[in-house]
Amino acid sequence: MTAANFGTGPLLEIKGLKTHFFTQDGTVKAVDDVSFQIAHGQTMGVVGESGCGKSITSLSVMRLIDRPGRIVDGQILLNGVNLLTKSEDDMRDVRGDQMSMIFQEPMTSLNPVFTCGDQISEAVQQHSSMGRREAWDRAVEMLRLVGIPDAKRRATEHPHELSGGMRQRVMIAMALSTDPDLLIADEPTTALDVTIQAQILELMRSLREKNRMAIMLITHDLGVVAEMADEVVVMYAGKIVERGDVKTIFGAPHHPYTQGLLRSIPRLDARVDRLQVIKGTVPSPLNLPTGCLFKRRCPQRMRICDVAPPVRDLGHDHVSRCWLTPAGEAPEVGAETKGPEAEEAAEALTVAAR
Amino acid sequence: MTGAAADQAPAPDHVLSSSERTTARGGSATGPLLKVEDVVKHFDIRGGLLGVTKLGAVRAVDGVSFTVNEGETLGLVGESGCGKTTLGKVILRLIPETSGEVEFEGRQLFHLNAKEMKAARRDIQVVFQDPYSSLNPRMSVGEIVGEGLFVHGMTNKKEREAAVRDLLKKVGLNQQHIHRYPHEFSGGQRQRIGIARALALRPKFIVCDEPVSALDVSIQSQVLNLMGDLQDEFQLTYLFIAHNLAVVKHLSSRVGVMYLGKLVELSDADELYESPRHPYTKALLSAIPIPDPTVRRERIVLKGDLPSPANPPSGCRFHTRCPMAQEICTVEEPPLRDVGGGHLSACHFAEDVSPLREVAAS
Repeated sequence: MTAANFGTGPLLEIKGLKTHFFTQDGTVKAVDDVSFQIAHGQTMGVVGESGCGKSITSLSVMRLIDRPGRIVDGQILLNGVNLLTKSEDDMRDVRGDQMSMIFQEPMTSLNPVFTCGDQISEAVQQHSSMGRREAWDRAVEMLRLVGIPDAKRRATEHPHELSGGMRQRVMIAMALSTDPDLLIADEPTTALDVTIQAQILELMRSLREKNRMAIMLITHDLGVVAEMADEVVVMYAGKIVERGDVKTIFGAPHHPYTQGLLRSIPRLDARVDRLQVIKGTVPSPLNLPTGCLFKRRCPQRMRICDVAPPVRDLGHDHVSRCWLTPAGEAPEVGAETKGPEAEEAAEALTVAAR
Repeated sequence: MTGAAADQAPAPDHVLSSSERTTARGGSATGPLLKVEDVVKHFDIRGGLLGVTKLGAVRAVDGVSFTVNEGETLGLVGESGCGKTTLGKVILRLIPETSGEVEFEGRQLFHLNAKEMKAARRDIQVVFQDPYSSLNPRMSVGEIVGEGLFVHGMTNKKEREAAVRDLLKKVGLNQQHIHRYPHEFSGGQRQRIGIARALALRPKFIVCDEPVSALDVSIQSQVLNLMGDLQDEFQLTYLFIAHNLAVVKHLSSRVGVMYLGKLVELSDADELYESPRHPYTKALLSAIPIPDPTVRRERIVLKGDLPSPANPPSGCRFHTRCPMAQEICTVEEPPLRDVGGGHLSACHFAEDVSPLREVAAS
C-alpha cells in the first residue's frame, strides 16, 4: 500500500496451493500443488489453456472460491500474512485495499443499476475514511487517469451507456482506486479489440511504473505475456509445468507443452505452410493420467513418464516439470526406468519449491 | 520453422513449398468465383409512438466491392462493428441486402427465386463462429451433418449415414460418435462438426466467420490445418472473416481490411503485412502483441473509440482517429484506388504511409 512495505521479502507467496472441487462426478483437482512468488512491482504472467487452473488460482488468492470448491491445502502469504486463516470480515478489508482484481467480462462484473461513479466511490469509501463527496471526486479522477474522456459526465452514466473498452477501463479504475499493492488481472483484454487492447496494456504499464504495483496477469494470449510479463508461469491441468524469466520461456522453453504452445500460434512475422499442433485435447479433470499429465499429448513421451516427473532446476530461476534433462535428452536414470527406482530419481531431481 | 513444420505434416500426396502453395491458393489461373459489387446493408433505427417512424440507419456495410478468385482464400479483417460479419451474411442471403449485387459463377444471387437459391446453396456454405450456439442441441451429429444431404435429395438413410461417416473421418472425428449429441463434444470437436456440415454438399465456396476465435491455442492450430487440408483436397474457395490478423494471414492469399462499413485496404497478404498502405491497417498491425519478448515494434495507439456506424464521420471515416489526418480528410471521402500492383487503398495519403518499424526491446 505504501513504500513502507517495499524491500524485504516477496509481496505474494503461494505455497503448495490445492483448490479442489467436490462434484457429483468426483473430485476435480483444479489447482494441485501450485507454488510461486510475486515481488513488489513485478508482473507475473500466468498462461495456459481453458481448464488449466489459472483462473482458479487467482480466485483462490482473492478467496473467492465457492462451493463445491474448497482450498484444501497450502498457504497464500500477502506481505507475509497468510490469507487463508483470515476471517471473511478481515478478508473484505484486504480485497480492494491491498489487492484488487479485474475480471474478463466487464459487462457482467459491473452492477448495471448503479452509475460508474457510484461504484468506484463505494469501493473508495469502503477502504478509506473519505466522505461521499471526496470519494466521488476521487472516482472522477480515476476515470480521467484511465483515459476516459469527459470523465465528469461519464461518472454519472450507467455501464450500458459505455462501450466495451470503456467498461473495462471503468473496471480498472475501480480496481486501482484504492492503490493496491497487487493487481490480479484475469484476461483483462481478451474481450476487447486489438486497438483497445493496446490502449489498456499501455495504461497498465504506466500505472505499474508510477505506483510500483505488482501484477498477476492471467491470459492465454502469449503475445500479451511476452509484452507485459517479467516472469512467466505455464500451467497445465492444475499444475505448473514451467516457470522462468520471460525471455527464457520464449527463447529457450524446456517443457514440451510450452514448446508446443509457442510453435502452434500463427505469427505475423513468418509464413508457414502448416502450423505445428499439439495433438489431442486437454485431459478430463476427472480422468487425469498417472505420472506426467501431459504424456498422452507429448511428442517426446518415454516409458518413465508413467511416473510423476521431477521439478527440475534449470538454473537462473528456471524450473520445469519434466523428465527430460536440461539439454532435452533422456533422463539420467534412463528413459525405460519405472516403479520405485524412477520415483526415487524424481525425488532426488526435484528442487525445493522456491 | 517452415522446414520443420513441413516435415511434421503427415505427408500429403502433393507436397508444395510455401510459395507454391501461396500461388495455388491465389488461384491466379482462373477467374473470379464470387463478385461483390457495391453491397450496402443498412439497418433502420425505428422509434416514435408506434415504433414505425424511421429515425435513422446503422450503416453496417456501406458500399463494399471485391472479387474472390476460384481456389483462393480471401481474408476479411476488422474490429467489432466494422461490418465484416454482416457482409458475410448478406453474401449468403441470410439477411436481405439494401442494395448492390453479388455474382456467383456468373449468376446474380440477389435475383434468384427461392428454388434457384436452394440449388445455389449447395455450392455456398458457411461455418459459424460459436461452436456452442450454431449446433442444434437436440439433433445428433448424424442428423446435423446429414440434414443438408436429406434436404438436397439424399433420402436413403443408409446411404446418408455412410456419407456422414465419411465426412466425420475427413474432419478427424471418430465415426463411432455419429449418434452422439453436441454437448458431448469439446469446442474443437464441435467446430469440426460445423465444418463437416458445411462440407456435406461438396460446396465450392465456404464463408468462414471467425471459425477459430472461440478455441484454445493448441486446438486452433489443429482446426486451421484441417481447413487448409480440406481446401487442397476439395479445391475450396474461402471467404475467411476474422479479427485475428495473424490467423487471417496464415490462411489467406489476399486480405481485405474493413473499417466502419467500408473496405479501406485490399492486397496480397504478405504485401499487406509488410507495407500497409492505409494508416488504419498500420495501426491495427502495430497493436498486435508479438509473442517474442526480444522484439518490439513501433506502436501506434489509436485515440478514442470506434465512432457509431449510425452516424459515421464525414469525409474519410477514419479521420477522427487517424494520426495522418489532414484538412481534406474531413471533407472528401477517399476512393478505394490502386496504389500499385493491384494493392488497393482508400486513403488520400496512401503513398506516404511508412512501413512499421521494429524497435529493439530493452
